[in-house]
Amino acid sequence: MLRYIVRRVLWGVVLLFLVSAVIFLIFYVFPNADPAKLRAGRQANPRLISQIREQLGLSDPIWEQFLRYMTQVFTPFDWFGASQHGGTGPLNFGNSFQSNTPVKEIILDRLPATGLLVAGAVVFWLLMGLPVGIISAIKRRSALDRTTMVTSLAFISAPVFWLGLVALYLFASDVGLIHIFPGIGSYLDADTFLAKCWSLFLPWLVLAAATAAIYARYLRSSMIDVMSEDYIRTARAKGVGERTVIMRHEVRSAITPIVTLLGLDIGLLLAGNAILTESVFNIPGVGREIVVAINRSDLPVIQGIVLFGAFFIVTFNLIVDIAYAYLDPRVRYQ
Amino acid sequence: MRLTRLRLVLPALLLLALAGVLSACGSSSSSSSGGTEAAGIPSEFKAPTSAPDSAEKGGTLTQLNEGDIDYMDPGAAYYQVTYSVTLATQRTLMGWPPNATQPAPDLADGQPQVTDGGKTITFKIRPGVKYSPPVDREVKSEDVKYAIERSLLPGVPNGYTPAYLADLEGFKQAEQAVKNNKTAAPDISGIETPDDQTLVLHLTRSSSIPVIQALSLPVSAPVPEEYAKKYDAASPSTYGQYVTFTGPYMVQNDCDVKVDTSNHTAEAQNSNCSGKLTGYKPGKSIDLVRNPNWTGDKEGDYRPAYLDQIQIQEGFSDPTSASQKILSGEDQVSGDFPPSKTVVQQVATTSKYNKDQMVAVPSGGNRYIALNMTKPPFGPGSGLSAEQALNVRKAVIANSDRTALRNTRGGELFGPVATHFIPPLIPGFDEAGGLQGPQGSEFDFVQNPNGDADLAKSYMEKAGFKSGKCEGSVCNVTMVGDDAPPGKDTATVFQHQLEQLGFHVTFQPVAHDIMYTKFCSVPANQPQVCPNVGWIKDFNDPQSILQVPFSGDSINPSNNSNWPQLDDPKINKAISDAVTITDENERAKVWGGIDDQITAQAPAVPWVWDNDVLVRSDDVNGVANLFNGEWDLAYTSLSNP
Repeated sequence: MLRYIVRRVLWGVVLLFLVSAVIFLIFYVFPNADPAKLRAGRQANPRLISQIREQLGLSDPIWEQFLRYMTQVFTPFDWFGASQHGGTGPLNFGNSFQSNTPVKEIILDRLPATGLLVAGAVVFWLLMGLPVGIISAIKRRSALDRTTMVTSLAFISAPVFWLGLVALYLFASDVGLIHIFPGIGSYLDADTFLAKCWSLFLPWLVLAAATAAIYARYLRSSMIDVMSEDYIRTARAKGVGERTVIMRHEVRSAITPIVTLLGLDIGLLLAGNAILTESVFNIPGVGREIVVAINRSDLPVIQGIVLFGAFFIVTFNLIVDIAYAYLDPRVRYQ
Repeated sequence: MRLTRLRLVLPALLLLALAGVLSACGSSSSSSSGGTEAAGIPSEFKAPTSAPDSAEKGGTLTQLNEGDIDYMDPGAAYYQVTYSVTLATQRTLMGWPPNATQPAPDLADGQPQVTDGGKTITFKIRPGVKYSPPVDREVKSEDVKYAIERSLLPGVPNGYTPAYLADLEGFKQAEQAVKNNKTAAPDISGIETPDDQTLVLHLTRSSSIPVIQALSLPVSAPVPEEYAKKYDAASPSTYGQYVTFTGPYMVQNDCDVKVDTSNHTAEAQNSNCSGKLTGYKPGKSIDLVRNPNWTGDKEGDYRPAYLDQIQIQEGFSDPTSASQKILSGEDQVSGDFPPSKTVVQQVATTSKYNKDQMVAVPSGGNRYIALNMTKPPFGPGSGLSAEQALNVRKAVIANSDRTALRNTRGGELFGPVATHFIPPLIPGFDEAGGLQGPQGSEFDFVQNPNGDADLAKSYMEKAGFKSGKCEGSVCNVTMVGDDAPPGKDTATVFQHQLEQLGFHVTFQPVAHDIMYTKFCSVPANQPQVCPNVGWIKDFNDPQSILQVPFSGDSINPSNNSNWPQLDDPKINKAISDAVTITDENERAKVWGGIDDQITAQAPAVPWVWDNDVLVRSDDVNGVANLFNGEWDLAYTSLSNP
């Protein structure tokens, strides 16, 4: 197992390197606003723009800029002029073109909000999605099954930003029809952990709704497959109690694809995929930050967040693979 | 400066209904430039520009913003919304009390003395003005000299210093010196500091008026060299993370300033601090607290500074919900976004909110559709002479329903239909024709705000198109505009208006910044039509409105802001000569005449003089500042602090 983990970690590093290269290329191949011109501001003359370009290292060859960035992120060395452009590494993601703030500082400042949003949403969607999936599978073709599946389809089809706005206009304490939950921007006002949790209640529900629906449908389908397996019939024939059959044999086997999904979903959300929820509710997280950075062509911030995201995805995939071995005795790694 | 604010998101259908509603709210016929009447703002939506007598000290105010300020560093700050922060936190040589139409002395101890035929300006600095912690020392004239000099550093990107202060003696040499050393502020020999309280500026020509006006901008906020030098030596400068302040408020820093809400004073709790700003989180929030070293009118500061603390929260991308939060009293004032049309309609036509919770302020800016004068059919070529191209441009303007264009932004409250380029409240506005625009047959093409199809037809005939409509391949035009409302709506409406005249329009929508940096501001890539451009004053002088966007001398191969590429030698010379006029009446008259000359060349379709629309909660005594068109945080107060 240890050998497997080491191998996966090494592959993860290679993957992060490749992701960085792709992001870098995307920014130079596709048209985008010139960061030097944006930083120079209005009325800036060409002399100032060219000086800023030089200062930010944008006038260097692309390969040199790329290797400098990789040096700063992955090594402690002062290669390719790293010390003159943002400093040496490792784990140095450079400074924002716009605010000149270290990218690492920006990400670490935004990560707690995203982390809390994702953690709460995960709890909600598991609490909603798993029981619904199990009950629907057991009560297949019943009115309850049909109702929950149609409802879940509705939540899957509803865009998150629309669901968020509807939730706000129905239930937010400031702009809602029924004043129940804290509204837009309430996270910014929250001082304590509990206040932050309360301010995220509505975003948790919104973010969890679609995912819970997907999990419910996925688990239902997976359980229905498992329920027709021979070993389930054997267990029942041996007189094993129905609760034990369901929980120990059916759910445990059916839930493995859910674990894969969960790992990917958490990684993706931490990587900034909660963009819409964060934007609608004005939660100062990683997702909203990447939108701002894209609007400002703030390349170091975009690269930093994408790399962080890739790191989370790789890490959670690794955790999933290890969890697989525990959940499914058929899986063994040598 | 280029207009970059005001983003609205709701469908255009509401606009037309709303325009009618708002038209009934008041008259726009006044032509005085002395107040907001000039901007045609209905009386119930006029903004207060002074605090009520009952205003009290205390309380915390929350302002909601969509985006962030551009730079905390006063050497680089250039957005109107950033000025909200600098007006409350910095003392510049000249300042802008809320109702001022001309700059008033702030850090300067009285009006500057102008001698030598307008070529020498002497400022006296007020004694006793101190920096916020950790600098804590008194401001000296050398600090203003350093502040101006450091604005030439590429690490302190300032767009306007070269435009307005280039007449300082030794300026060019200083620019040259920066090329050799990009991390040390160069010496500008034309700035002298004979003693701690005196600052003397020597100019190469009599351009004292724009120089004094430019010194009302944040670049003249003092910067202590011994403190800032190490930050300016970084590449780019990191002073923006360690700014020190001289105004009534400061951004919270690691000196941990605590405000005593009972006597409205403040004190730093940590004496062993670096000055690192902890209250500014870009894109997230700005926390302002009272500056412990500010003692108000003892140092001649005109700002009352009623509030104890100010929290600016950023990231409110939905103007409808953000405005409703404010109007309902959950938060207090709006920042960089106008209320959505839904909210404007709610306030204007229902009793849900008080009407005076929404106000409009003239922004001192204009919006126009640039017609590229270097490419046919709007410039000579493909068989069209310069005279014929001029007639084509006049036809396009004559045909254009500018009221419909304005409605794409929200109707009458968002500004009067423009008939020329100098906006209301700027000297030269009346001289250029006021709201009605220049009169006479040579200006007939701008006189009907709803468009005049017959007149347009006659101009097309003069241009050689006998049918009165554009014909042939010369009529294929490309237009690059915004890919999101309201800019996209404006472009779409104008596309339809061009097609009415027979043009075949290819509309390429792109993101706003890309529209500028890749197309409309790059002459080599510029399409025939740029529908979403505009200019806002840098200060209340017509030079800051007309020089950069319409002088041929300001055309750059990139980052060009003369979008029509108007390059008329007579206009160029008139602009260059008018810079040095020092008599204010004469200056207004001459610049008004230059505006007429520009309008006569029909380089663009002027369609609105922008108003900024602001909202406040009912418990706020909001005071708007006419200079930047935002709530003035140093004058605004809470009714029950």
